[in-house]
Amino acid sequence: MSGPALIHVVVSGLATGCIYALVALSLVIVYNATRTVNFAQGELLMISAFVAWTAQRAGLPLAAALVSGVAAGGLLAFLLERAIIRRAVSATHWDVLIITLGLSLALRAAAGIVWTNEELPFPALFSNRPIAIGPVRVAPVSLGVIAASLILMLALVALFRASRFGRAMRAVAQNQTAARLMGISVERVYAGSWVLAAVVGGVAGVLIAPVTFLSTKMGLIAINGFTAAVLGGFGSLPGAVAGGMLLGVIENLAPLYLPTGIRYSVPFLVMIAILVARPRGLFGTLERRKV
Amino acid sequence: MRAAAWAVGGAAALAWPLMAPRYFVFLATLVAVNAVVAIGLNLLSGYTNQLSFGHAGFLAVGAYTAAILTLRAPALPVPLTLLAAGLVTALVGLALGIPCLRLDGLYLAMATLAFGFVVTEAITNLGSLTHGNDGLRVPLARLGPWLLDTDRSRYYLALAVAAAMTLGALNVAATRTGRAFLAIRTSEIAAQASGINPAALKTVAFVLSAFYTGVAGGLFAFAVGFLSPDAFDVFLSVDFLVMIILGGLGSVWGAVAGAAIVTVLNDSLASFQAYRPLVFGAIMVAGMLFAPGGLAAMTRRQS
Repeated sequence: MSGPALIHVVVSGLATGCIYALVALSLVIVYNATRTVNFAQGELLMISAFVAWTAQRAGLPLAAALVSGVAAGGLLAFLLERAIIRRAVSATHWDVLIITLGLSLALRAAAGIVWTNEELPFPALFSNRPIAIGPVRVAPVSLGVIAASLILMLALVALFRASRFGRAMRAVAQNQTAARLMGISVERVYAGSWVLAAVVGGVAGVLIAPVTFLSTKMGLIAINGFTAAVLGGFGSLPGAVAGGMLLGVIENLAPLYLPTGIRYSVPFLVMIAILVARPRGLFGTLERRKV
Repeated sequence: MRAAAWAVGGAAALAWPLMAPRYFVFLATLVAVNAVVAIGLNLLSGYTNQLSFGHAGFLAVGAYTAAILTLRAPALPVPLTLLAAGLVTALVGLALGIPCLRLDGLYLAMATLAFGFVVTEAITNLGSLTHGNDGLRVPLARLGPWLLDTDRSRYYLALAVAAAMTLGALNVAATRTGRAFLAIRTSEIAAQASGINPAALKTVAFVLSAFYTGVAGGLFAFAVGFLSPDAFDVFLSVDFLVMIILGGLGSVWGAVAGAAIVTVLNDSLASFQAYRPLVFGAIMVAGMLFAPGGLAAMTRRQS
């Protein structure tokens, strides 16, 4: 394969990878604060995309529609955390995991009832007709997705480094008891992390919807997000980003070298391989539990 | 009192095909099949506190093993076919379990999820063996001179197997190994300190769980008579989880009750497909919030 064509494949892989990275980040944000995985994360981002679609059809300009979709996802996450997850806070992580699994089923069904189970076209911010940059041809949508994701990631870095809330989240991730003793409201961090994760996921949702079409099944992208997070080391934010990019590129390159039948199994085979060979991922640290 | 309950339950199960219309005999067969899966999943999730999203994959391995074996060796008596289906699935479980059980609960859940997807992809792509997406017609099961060609005969087969495997599971919980499972469930660290090897026991539980599900897969293949990969998607694995959550984690009878309720609910919601996951999701959320021990805990509280 020629160099420029290979670059085209890698760039579009990086664009998909950015989406995976954002989904992985949203999973890790909730995990770091609450130590459980939100299985409904994918469905939250699906609902963000549907709300954005509805808002745009109702006459809002596209940009405003996308923002309202993301905001709706954050609001829904806040309500779910308050009404349901908060009640189960004293329960084991196992119980919360099953609750989020139930929520994911219920939200997907509800979206199917409110909207449709068909696939819908989603208005695109960026064109997918390739443009030539020197000898290389890339699709503007790839560059747009990469740029938007990078901006969001930088904003997250700023939030975690510089804001009071970001520091509180990092403190809770490190040691919940100590954080509480320092006067941090752990409950507020829980709620905040659910909202933040839904916002990050929602951005991923409205970015990917034009490419994959809008459907109630788009929440399954959370599985790839989880694979990405595991690849980078679950719990590590930079790891989630690196894992997402890597997974996107692997997934795009694999069909060139592997039989077509294996294509759709690639993320899962990557997940099993990484879990078997190096469960802590590329950047993760070995977690030691104390009695 | 207890003996009377057993006698009434047993008699009702035996007399069911004589009273019920044909379709409900088939439905009862599915209840028996799902009960075996639920008991198997419970051995893993209920006793060793690990979540599996891959049991539809195990069911598929068992079902296809039984179907292909019957195609190649039509004279094989059905108990041997089912045993083979269980053993092949157990081997797959062992191959998956040895590397994956080093993983913590969450990672194991994800590895099993990935396993489920890989199984359906493999079935789709191994066309020469499985006929891929076209589906595989399962030949009739044979028991010596008899061909199990009626819903009634297949019901009795499923009932007999389910009864045997229920007894087996009740006894696992009464053995040293079973008590070790319970110890791990209560506290893995305390169990380890008492001389239990959690890694080895989790592997045993995983393999046993796969065996149960593989046998159920064989029964499933004969009961429905037609297999295709899309029947074994991740949502089936979630259905199995709903069964044991509803019934109560760790309870054999809870698993049977959960399997019965979910199977019948699935059937009665068949014409309301859109609402089915909504109902199941609500059951999971409400179950965990208001009745964490499931049906088993509710009956226990009353007695």
